[in-house]
Amino acid sequence: MEHQKCYVFAQPTLDERAAKRRRVSDTLTPTSWSLREDVYRRVWSQQQQRIQATVEDADLTTLENLVSFVSEATVDHHRREASISSGLIVVGPSIASHGFFFDRLGQKVTAATNATFLILTSGECPNLKTLLRNLIRKATSKLDDVDEPEDRNGNVSRTGPKLLDYDLVLLQEWYSKTQTDKVIVAVQDSEAFDAALLVEMIELFSSWLNRIPFVLLFGVATSSESFQDRLPGTALRRLRGETFNVKQANEILEKIFCATIDGPGVSLRLGPNLSRRLLERQKDHIQSVQAFSDALKYAHMSHFYANPLSIFLSQSLEFDQVPSDVFRALRNLPSFRRWAESLLDKGCARKVRRLLDSDQYLYDNTIENIKSSQMVILSLVSATSVLVAIRNCIPRTPYVPRSTLYVRATSGELDGSPIIRETLLMIRKASSDLLYQMLEALSTLKECHLPIDIGAYQKELDSLVKETTNETPLRSQHDVRNNTLRTTVVAQKVELSKQRSTLSEQDTAYSGLVGRFHDDIENYFTSTLILPQSLVLSEILLYDLKSPHSETFTPRPRFVIERSLSSPHDYLDCSCCLNSETGKDSESMLSPTQPATAILYQLYLESGSLVNVSDLWSAFNAIVGEEDDEAEPTTMSLFQRALAELKFLGLLKSSRKKSDHVAKMMWKGL
Amino acid sequence: MLPEEVLLGTLNEQYPCRELQIRQLFALYSPYLPSPPAIVVHGLEATGKSSIVKSVLDTSKVPHAIINSRECITGRHLLERTVTSCLDAIDESSEDKVDRRPYSRCENISALAIHLQRLLDGRERFVLVFDGIDRQREAPPTLLPALARFGEIIPNLSIIFIISVPRPRFLHATGVPFINFPAYTKDESIQILSKSPPQIFLEPPEDSPEYTEEQAEEDNAWVWTRFLTAVWDALAKGAARDILSFRAVADKIWRPFVAPIVDGTFGTRDFSRLMVAKRALFQSEDVLLERVVPRTEETTTSAVSKGNYCFLSQFTHDLPYYSKYLLCAAYLASYNPARQDSIYFMKASERKRRKKGGGTAAGRAGRGAKHRKIPRNLLAPSPFPLDRLLAIFHAIVPHSITPTADIYTQITTLSSIRLLVRAGPAGSDVLDPGCKWRVNFGWDYVATLGRSVGFEIAEYLAGGAE
Repeated sequence: MEHQKCYVFAQPTLDERAAKRRRVSDTLTPTSWSLREDVYRRVWSQQQQRIQATVEDADLTTLENLVSFVSEATVDHHRREASISSGLIVVGPSIASHGFFFDRLGQKVTAATNATFLILTSGECPNLKTLLRNLIRKATSKLDDVDEPEDRNGNVSRTGPKLLDYDLVLLQEWYSKTQTDKVIVAVQDSEAFDAALLVEMIELFSSWLNRIPFVLLFGVATSSESFQDRLPGTALRRLRGETFNVKQANEILEKIFCATIDGPGVSLRLGPNLSRRLLERQKDHIQSVQAFSDALKYAHMSHFYANPLSIFLSQSLEFDQVPSDVFRALRNLPSFRRWAESLLDKGCARKVRRLLDSDQYLYDNTIENIKSSQMVILSLVSATSVLVAIRNCIPRTPYVPRSTLYVRATSGELDGSPIIRETLLMIRKASSDLLYQMLEALSTLKECHLPIDIGAYQKELDSLVKETTNETPLRSQHDVRNNTLRTTVVAQKVELSKQRSTLSEQDTAYSGLVGRFHDDIENYFTSTLILPQSLVLSEILLYDLKSPHSETFTPRPRFVIERSLSSPHDYLDCSCCLNSETGKDSESMLSPTQPATAILYQLYLESGSLVNVSDLWSAFNAIVGEEDDEAEPTTMSLFQRALAELKFLGLLKSSRKKSDHVAKMMWKGL
Repeated sequence: MLPEEVLLGTLNEQYPCRELQIRQLFALYSPYLPSPPAIVVHGLEATGKSSIVKSVLDTSKVPHAIINSRECITGRHLLERTVTSCLDAIDESSEDKVDRRPYSRCENISALAIHLQRLLDGRERFVLVFDGIDRQREAPPTLLPALARFGEIIPNLSIIFIISVPRPRFLHATGVPFINFPAYTKDESIQILSKSPPQIFLEPPEDSPEYTEEQAEEDNAWVWTRFLTAVWDALAKGAARDILSFRAVADKIWRPFVAPIVDGTFGTRDFSRLMVAKRALFQSEDVLLERVVPRTEETTTSAVSKGNYCFLSQFTHDLPYYSKYLLCAAYLASYNPARQDSIYFMKASERKRRKKGGGTAAGRAGRGAKHRKIPRNLLAPSPFPLDRLLAIFHAIVPHSITPTADIYTQITTLSSIRLLVRAGPAGSDVLDPGCKWRVNFGWDYVATLGRSVGFEIAEYLAGGAE
């Protein structure tokens, strides 16, 4: 244990098979796997394209700015101390996305300009020599010249001194051979670089600047100011440039989330619990588009691979392709049962009987129901976009992101919620210019299938506005500015009473218009904002299982080790550790039947930061050891092995503070 | 001797205020006189050492090679570069090409001696210049003394060492002449910079067609010289004494300084009124800070009004929620003494910990005057083990959270963007629980960070916030 970090565990060959129940028959292998995999691939590739398009769209302006900066960067030869043009790209604290961003930047730059783009990461550059070696290798390997190796061999014999592989003369030779006009060196994670290394690199590049035109790009995770604080003035003097901000991760994420739920092409959507959890994880722990996309992919995979009913999301499904057990599963769905019961309540017993008896009839009904349920969910999703569009027009309303609205809508909380009531109230009070903006915003919304004729409202509003003579916008009767407060003092008491001022003719007409619009929107919301889980076959259209995600994406390594050591019964489930008196799990009960390491760990938990090994041994011996002295060597070996294992796990460390003591390194529950 | 005087004159014209040094160098490396085997040229940064040596050698047409140590990554690299440069220089000075095959490798200083011996055998005098050799990376310890003795082995070689500050007896040889390039004085600096005045008017003013170019040049020089004196007295005297940074500072505030002349508020000769109007430029020391992104007018004014917090407003990218708490916990772990943790973070003693600094009032009053300690937040952050960070993190997070791998991932992320750094030896194992960490940010940053999640860090900080 001491001298090796890991060892190969050779499994002892057993004659008999382990007494484990094995599934022998292959009857339950789903026959629809290949079909579901096809559906998964189709659905996921669509989603992936959406995500990709959104990400690219979000970074577009930054990338274009960078490309123009790079192509305009010139070396100022007139100054004695020339400075390197350099861009500080504030990429944000999610390191995982830096690589993708720089890859895309590289593609853009090489496509748009005649420059060579080289990326350096901190991992491959521990010191200046390796940095230069990597840089030169990356640059020269891009050379398409086939006869290059021969040429270099010829070089050696002709010119004599062989160049060292970190000599920038190599880069200069390469530069003079190619048509490249600039060498762009992108430092992907500048924070992880040693500051001294960056300074040396900058100095070296600036002294070579008259021979090789370098342009530097630094990826910064925190802020450009903290980057500049790290470098000394002599290095900063050699850099001149601009700062570029990449869009914030949460904005991109919001867009991506909307892209994955929007539109009639989306066949599978995330349920409220899972989406809430994914969004919270992004906010609380990691902000990374990649992680979100991975989680979404995992959701799709687990839906299509684990749920045989997902076969119905295939667009070209035939009745013959559906295996019979799928129908049995379909009939056991909770939503199917609810549907059947509601049919029975309506007195359609015959239909229910047919659904239960005939697979073909069930199939036809399922296809139809899935289509209609999908439409309902789609209108629910578009209702959130309508709500966002209206709220964006109203000034001084708190911004609620659409992802939150979606989560609330799918969990059925949105209908009649304060946010809806507040929005409707705002509509009722809206003046004519505000209403105009709202109608404009609603008319530009795509794919939302509003049942309201926006065009008619717009026409009516236009004619009303034309009729009015004064400049001020028309007011609705519910506008607060039409109310005046009247103060009357009656018997030393102040009475406040509201009084409605009289409305002009146009204002009355306008109030009618606003009232109708308000009623229409209210009806629209009440009709669309339903609980999607109550829909027939919503289990196929919504994926809302939390546990696969929490197990896959948020493991708890330390907790698991601590728990297995402190209560081994949870894992072993052996009869010996079960406390016979109480019948419960013997938590915090030490018994000699437990593994030696677990016993020692529980003793370790009770001690302070310095542990006397002799005390530990006597406590251990009291639990495990037997009366006679002959068994002591066995107990001692158990003790020593357990101690070594704890040390191996990093829980203990030998201490120099006190003799015969070991230091406690880890506390439980952190 | 007349042509030499002419050459000297042009050199002096080119490099003012360096007559003595140029004359000395010219005498030592004149084509007709013998040169010493080694000399040392020393002086601070930006005093014209390298340029003058190069110009003198170019003018006197002695075959020479200059090796810039800044571009040499290792000691071996320096040797290889030396051989290559010597070969190139000799090829250039003589008609027939040198056969380069024997010089393909130069591993150490002895090999260099052999190579140079063979190369210079039977040739004229050759000068080798090592520029900035005292800053050579990974130089072998014998490099300088060995190079100083090359002149003894190779009679026709003469070496010039250009260094900034010579240590006593660093060459381990006596009788080496030194030429000092002292830093320019105020008058010299202004004299040098005033040779190239920048323009006041980037484009000629429209309303006065009689304003000729000669007049403009005269005005430029007149304002520029006075401006330089003012800049030297206000800023450069204390913080930018070498000619390059002086020039940089002057360039930076030149445009805002002459802006009133350009827009016509003042005439070109109203220097004293201009000074009064633009005195803010000379009072703020902002211009002395070097930055990559040049500051525009708005950011400068906003920085002044907001003081130190200006960089936080530009902190566009928000950290995740728990990362902020982790950073707060790390700051507390760095700046709170470990023995007071139970006062500040134990949930049981909620009431007690509200007292800042802990302990009783009587105990503090008695000792306060005797032991004056430096406040902890003025000291460097102290290292802490990871478990302490996690324990404080769990204590300050308003609700209980399950420790998932996400928390550990965030710690890794924070350490790779260098907000948390590992203390202790660089190569130590990260997974070792004894590994210690340190924060790499200051009080201003963490206070803003804490406020953004509604956590007032001063309540938990020993000694409160100063």
